[in-house]
Amino acid sequence: MSETHEASVVRENLWMKALRTAGVPLLSVVLAMIIGSIIIKASGMDPLLAWGALLKGAFGSPDKWAAGNFREFGDTIGRATPLAFAGLALAFGFRANLFNIGANGQLLLGSITAAWLGLVLAGLPGVLSIPMILIGSALAGAAWAFIPAILKAKVGAHEVITTMMFSWIGLYLTSWIIAAPLKDAAGNSQTPMLAQSVWLPTFDKILPGLFRTPVNAHLGFVIAVVLAVVVWWVLKRTTLGYGVRAVGFNQWAAQNGGISIAKTTVYALCISGALAGLAGASEVLGTNHRMFDEVSAGSGFGFTGIAVALLAKSHPVAVVFSALLFGALSAGAGMMQLTANVSDRIIMIVQALIIFFVGAETVITWFIKRRQKRALEEKGATDVA
Amino acid sequence: MPILELRDITKIFPGVRANDGVSLRLERGEIVALLGENGAGKSTLMNVVYGLMAPDGGEVFVDGAQVHIKTPRDAIALGIGMVHQHFMLVQTLTVTENIILGHEPSRFGVIDLVSARSKVSDLSTRYGLKVDPDERVADLSVGMQQRVEILKALFQGARILILDEPTAVLTPQEVRELFGVVRSLVAEGLSVVLITHKLDEVMGVADRVVVMRDGRVVGETTPAETDQVGLARMMVGRDVVLSVDKAPSKPGETVLEVRDLAVLDDRRLEALRCISLVVRAGEVVGIAGVDGNGQRELVEAIVGLRKPTSGSISLRGKDITHAAPHATIHAGVSHVPEDRQRRGLVLEFDLAENLVLGDQSDAPYASAGIMHGRVIDETARERIADYDVRTPSIRVLAGNLSGGNQQKLVLAREMGRDPDLLVAAQPTRGLDVGAIEFVHRRILAERDSGKAILLVSMELDEIMSLSDRILVMYEGRVAAELSSEEADAERIGYFMTGGSNKDGAPLQKPATTVAEGGAS
Amino acid sequence: MWLSFFTPDLFASAIRMATPLALAAIGGTICERSGVVNIALEGMMLVGAFFGVVVTLATNNVLLGVGAAIVAGVLLSAIHAFASVTLRMDQVVSGTALNILALGLTGFLMEVIYGHPGATNGIQHIIGPVFNFPTGGTGVLATIWTWIDQIVFSYTPIVYLAIIIAIVAQWAMFHTRWGLRLRALGEHPRAADTVGIRVQAGRYSAVLISGALAGLAGANLTLEQVGVYSDNMTSGRGFIALAANIFGRWTPAGSYLASLLFGFAEALEIRMQSFQSVIHVPVQFFLALPYVLVVIVLAGFMGRAVGPAAVGKPYEKE
Repeated sequence: MSETHEASVVRENLWMKALRTAGVPLLSVVLAMIIGSIIIKASGMDPLLAWGALLKGAFGSPDKWAAGNFREFGDTIGRATPLAFAGLALAFGFRANLFNIGANGQLLLGSITAAWLGLVLAGLPGVLSIPMILIGSALAGAAWAFIPAILKAKVGAHEVITTMMFSWIGLYLTSWIIAAPLKDAAGNSQTPMLAQSVWLPTFDKILPGLFRTPVNAHLGFVIAVVLAVVVWWVLKRTTLGYGVRAVGFNQWAAQNGGISIAKTTVYALCISGALAGLAGASEVLGTNHRMFDEVSAGSGFGFTGIAVALLAKSHPVAVVFSALLFGALSAGAGMMQLTANVSDRIIMIVQALIIFFVGAETVITWFIKRRQKRALEEKGATDVA
Repeated sequence: MPILELRDITKIFPGVRANDGVSLRLERGEIVALLGENGAGKSTLMNVVYGLMAPDGGEVFVDGAQVHIKTPRDAIALGIGMVHQHFMLVQTLTVTENIILGHEPSRFGVIDLVSARSKVSDLSTRYGLKVDPDERVADLSVGMQQRVEILKALFQGARILILDEPTAVLTPQEVRELFGVVRSLVAEGLSVVLITHKLDEVMGVADRVVVMRDGRVVGETTPAETDQVGLARMMVGRDVVLSVDKAPSKPGETVLEVRDLAVLDDRRLEALRCISLVVRAGEVVGIAGVDGNGQRELVEAIVGLRKPTSGSISLRGKDITHAAPHATIHAGVSHVPEDRQRRGLVLEFDLAENLVLGDQSDAPYASAGIMHGRVIDETARERIADYDVRTPSIRVLAGNLSGGNQQKLVLAREMGRDPDLLVAAQPTRGLDVGAIEFVHRRILAERDSGKAILLVSMELDEIMSLSDRILVMYEGRVAAELSSEEADAERIGYFMTGGSNKDGAPLQKPATTVAEGGAS
Repeated sequence: MWLSFFTPDLFASAIRMATPLALAAIGGTICERSGVVNIALEGMMLVGAFFGVVVTLATNNVLLGVGAAIVAGVLLSAIHAFASVTLRMDQVVSGTALNILALGLTGFLMEVIYGHPGATNGIQHIIGPVFNFPTGGTGVLATIWTWIDQIVFSYTPIVYLAIIIAIVAQWAMFHTRWGLRLRALGEHPRAADTVGIRVQAGRYSAVLISGALAGLAGANLTLEQVGVYSDNMTSGRGFIALAANIFGRWTPAGSYLASLLFGFAEALEIRMQSFQSVIHVPVQFFLALPYVLVVIVLAGFMGRAVGPAAVGKPYEKE
């Protein structure tokens, strides 16, 4: 009896796990889009037309694909790239029970570093300069997370407030750098265009046979995917990752097990900052090839990264898929606005709703845990409560 | 007509019938002891009566009339008061504020503090429960906090008072005082239900005893009709050996030496004042004392969780005074923390991950920062078999194990590391008799294999049956050292409350000379 | 030059700037005292500011606008209460979702209603000062009167209201049944439960009050200060308000005073901008000043600040 029961416990877990990792997030997305549709309808516009346009804007159409034109796909991947980095940044923080809500500030510091190093290292071949720039941006992002990390570790100042403040400080700091020392001679509110040697090659350059027309997708996406696997491996297989997860789940037990809460907090938030810095670098080197002043922008990739990580339930590999979804929403928003006259802000509303529904899933997780526990109790592994 | 009557109360938790058709009768002016071991369903039953849990079946009668108690508010309105095992006091509020909370005397929502305070002092003098109404609860001793709890119930107009394990945190002397108060309450017309798992208390104070086991009432008797052995048999369902058999200890060289240690607590007040002690290989040194007299801080200082302000700690001659937890683990200190769910385990980790906690960066479990899953899993399987942790797989999350199995998991990890010193704090808290016996056997086995063991426990019986030497702590000092032969509950209790050596037992040594005496 | 820098208007401006921070901070204090973290203060201010303008423009009645701002804040906070109290969702996640929702919804509706992104139309008249005493003249007496008039009598109604709210809330928190129960909820909800206090209802009401106050803060921003709603115009004020609550040790009066400090930084920032030709520091540095001050205050103060013991923890009955 015990063996079949054990098997059924394990089987149920697998099934439940599958449901938990994919089912609930997908359900959340569907629910969010239904509510989004209601809002669109209530505003007197056509939701079907809007979502149709969005799909077209995000993925293109079969006739284009046949001609080797994957421009829309490329847009989706291009938009997904910084989101994947930012999502990894948030996810890594979440695993240590840290909410790096101000990742956008670290991202901006990464951007400005890339915009500056890109100018400085323009003379070097790309294989040398690009890794150096990426490392520089990661370090800048980590540095911007360092003070909030130290404040959290030493005096317990909550990172939600401090990283948010540093996000605003970073916004004004980069705004000043763009306006003064790194000002583009030709125009306002942007840094000079970078030399082509430091651009991250686009997919049509890497795989000209497949992508016969130019696309926005660039090498940054490949780097993000590789990094996602690396982050997963670090969390799962290294002592650093073990410490991060232990502190994230139960810092008191972790401390008792010889893991320093303060050090782990600093490492985790700085690694999170480094990943956010890479988001900024990939956007500068891969997409814009310069940095724009973002003071007027209401939000940034760093904030969308919160939704990306939450939808992925902080699993690094799932972050890539989650980023692709939000990348598609973002890439298609323009077409939606053009065709259906629906503001791209609806994407933000959908994003908020997704966070909400994924968050409310704790109730479901609790239920699943209870079922697992009950299965164990029936097996006699648990005493009378 | 009974003042309170329960008929066929049933309460089902997922997979467990915590109460299975329980009936109970309480007469006016009576003290009924509800006896049973941890997990027998006593507290669940009383939580149902108090409206904290909804029963799945059964009826409740107060003064002969059927009642439906859905919330504590209903219970209070019916004159039922409850003193919970874990006090329900708001630490940041004053005594008066805590007592009136929920039943504040007020006009238009503004609290009438003057009349509140005078009502509190009236009750306090009437029942001999002296407290300062303006003191913050956080600054009170545990015994005082219990008084506040009783006063709170009386303030709310309780006629039926439920006391849930009220003696768990008290000294023998305080227990006597409490029972004096209980008798005077009964004399004033109250009726009392006393939840306990301690046999001597039942014999001492109860008019009637109802014994529960596995969610059922298994017997009812009076102290006159039975004795402790008979009660224990009813409670556990088999004959219980009330004392642990152990061979005399053969202490070896000094393993732990604490010298003139001073440590601050979380509120930055002095928790340890120049404490000195030694633990030698092959002996169990028990620390007795009322909760909050520095035991926690002593343990935390030894294992590296708390920084001493002065003094020294050494292990086999190696200084570990300022060592962090990872360094003390390396030096050979293992720690079974008092709160296994908070300090001992990561409940969201699986068993294998929990079993490597503390050794996660050391060979053979890891090298160069990379963990070796196969070694970790193999070791985990061995330890789980060794310590009889009941689980279908090492991939089960620790949070899904029962309390007893969780404690076995902690022991498996801490002893499996083969330490020189084991610091065990409240190692059997909340466990049933079977699990307690298992833990006790393992601790003695470790002693006999030559480990040094420092045992901290609130349970005097546990201290007396396991320890070779007993240190009684009072206000951050060692008030007395007793050998296991000369220790009895009265004598330990005397020192727990700060008794001086003048009229106390002649055998204790001054704390400062313990280190020299032990080391020689 | 320094005379024209430290004018009475600078201090009056500090009190004006402190008002939205203080209202939100007091809301945050009440909310956290009940055991619920509210990082959605930012979003609640945003919807308050936005719907205040929308309703004022639609009805031409600024009082209705203020009412709408409060209602909008309360509605958003109701979602937060439902999520964190009833669903027992992670309170920070719920707050984040609501902040993004507020930003998205205001931006979306702005385009639907006014047909252009970035900002709403402006309202015709912002709410003016309560008092209007004549000033002017020369001499010491006239100067003193100018200072008094500026610092005491120059404000719009919500500025005075915020001071009254701070005093009343401070008194109520420590002298009324409501206040005692609120403090118990955030420290030890189970203890409150066992004496018959309804934990969930208490937390709901506290969250809704914080929404009302944050909505009122939004109304102050658009209907009394600026006269128009522009995208994301709160600029992190909700988070500064949370810092003010911590700095004010979770008391309404403390929250007000801490807000005054941050408000002064904002006033200073604005004043320095007009002295840019003299001071020669880039404008972005002034703009960053309030945020830097918050970090410094938290760094210097946090070690000693202890919040309610049960804050952020959902309460489960059994």
